[in-house]
Amino acid sequence: MQEVVNFIDLNLIMVGYLFIVGFTGGLVSGFIGSGGAFVLTPGMMSLGVPGTVAVASNMCHKFPKALVGAIKRYKYGQVDIKLGLVMAASASLGVQIGIKIQQIILEKWGQAGSNLYVSLSFVLILVTVGGYVFYDARKSARRTDTAGEMVSNLARRLQRIQLPPMIHFKTADVRISLWLTLPVGFATGMLAATIAVGGFIGVPGMIYVLGASSLIASATELVIAFVMGLGGSINWALHGMVDIRLTLIILAGSLLGVQLGAIGTTYVKEHMIKIVMGTIMLIVAFSRGFAIPQYLAQLKLIEVEENTIRILSAVSFGIMCLALAVGAVIILAAMWKGRFAAEEGAELPDKGSSLEVVSQES
Amino acid sequence: MSGRSYARRKRPYGKVIGFGMLTAALYAAVYLNAPVVMTYFTKGGVYAVLPIATVFLFSYVHGTFAGSLWSLLGIDAKRTRLQERMEKRPAATRKISRPRPRLHA
Repeated sequence: MQEVVNFIDLNLIMVGYLFIVGFTGGLVSGFIGSGGAFVLTPGMMSLGVPGTVAVASNMCHKFPKALVGAIKRYKYGQVDIKLGLVMAASASLGVQIGIKIQQIILEKWGQAGSNLYVSLSFVLILVTVGGYVFYDARKSARRTDTAGEMVSNLARRLQRIQLPPMIHFKTADVRISLWLTLPVGFATGMLAATIAVGGFIGVPGMIYVLGASSLIASATELVIAFVMGLGGSINWALHGMVDIRLTLIILAGSLLGVQLGAIGTTYVKEHMIKIVMGTIMLIVAFSRGFAIPQYLAQLKLIEVEENTIRILSAVSFGIMCLALAVGAVIILAAMWKGRFAAEEGAELPDKGSSLEVVSQES
Repeated sequence: MSGRSYARRKRPYGKVIGFGMLTAALYAAVYLNAPVVMTYFTKGGVYAVLPIATVFLFSYVHGTFAGSLWSLLGIDAKRTRLQERMEKRPAATRKISRPRPRLHA
């Protein structure tokens, strides 16, 4: 029997809010391959949308946005479809395992335990991976005068392992064993099932483990997001959980944003993708840190006043919105700078750009 | 690539107007008939095809409008070597130039 769900009435403020967040999330997704979902779902819930409807409606906007972004970036020669599909296959398995883990935690420790698990995953993974991405981006930025983006030592070592079947990803210019792509895809799916943003593992995984460039990794992530988003959306739609009105408002903004973000990648130095991604991940991790006391209190592990919890929740959500806004501002500023330099006809001192990467590859 | 080449590029006025009107019509159709739309789109089961097909349609129509709009505003991608390399790639399928078999009576 179908669950009875209350769909909310829309007003102009909600429409404006969803459009703006959709646009900003789209801009970030078009640029770094993922992002936006972590603000949209709690954002919709704060407007009174039931949790499952918020997740379903958000996911249903995610896959067409990823499709449009992927097509746009494919035209720029940045998408490795084969890599995307291989990663999506193992990610789908990761999603299933991630959901199972969530269900076990939910059964054992209830909703508060599940929320605590999600928040701790947010903080641990995003601080570790985001911190490294940010550190590497700063290192790449300093190196731009002498060389383009370097393939990580780990990826070089892994590419030397001749474990059949070996796959050649033409656009990414990577030859690696299929078995070594599986853990990266699997982890992407696991994270997607846990914090709804698999790209925070998928993109760094493709860069540092498989050896793809930032441009190719972020563009290919859109293929993974499309495949996984389509599967998830069909599942939610079968249960009648998609509020198409909400989906279409977010889509209205995000289709504008995702194309602008994709265009932006052709103007900036390649390390900017890592800077934006690292910055967003660290700010989001920081914001989730504020949510942890609430769940610890619900599990009766600590005592916190109701008012304090309300303030911490509001601060957490505010910082999360800030993460998206900061990412968007960095993208627009970098794009503006790159475009200005291009219009001036001056050669960009762009040793780390896609141009340089290609020349190194060829 | 200099800025002058952007200025020379043909602006897609027709595409923006055409797809813009189509986008507006599609949005109006959904929101003016919201009660009916919500009744059928949330039924689940085979009706799941409705929201999925709708977002594909909107992503094509509104996506084309959005892309053309940025182009009209002069915001186009810079041509990179990655793009040139992809365009130079040989097509995956090659036409086989073999004579067709003929019947000899």
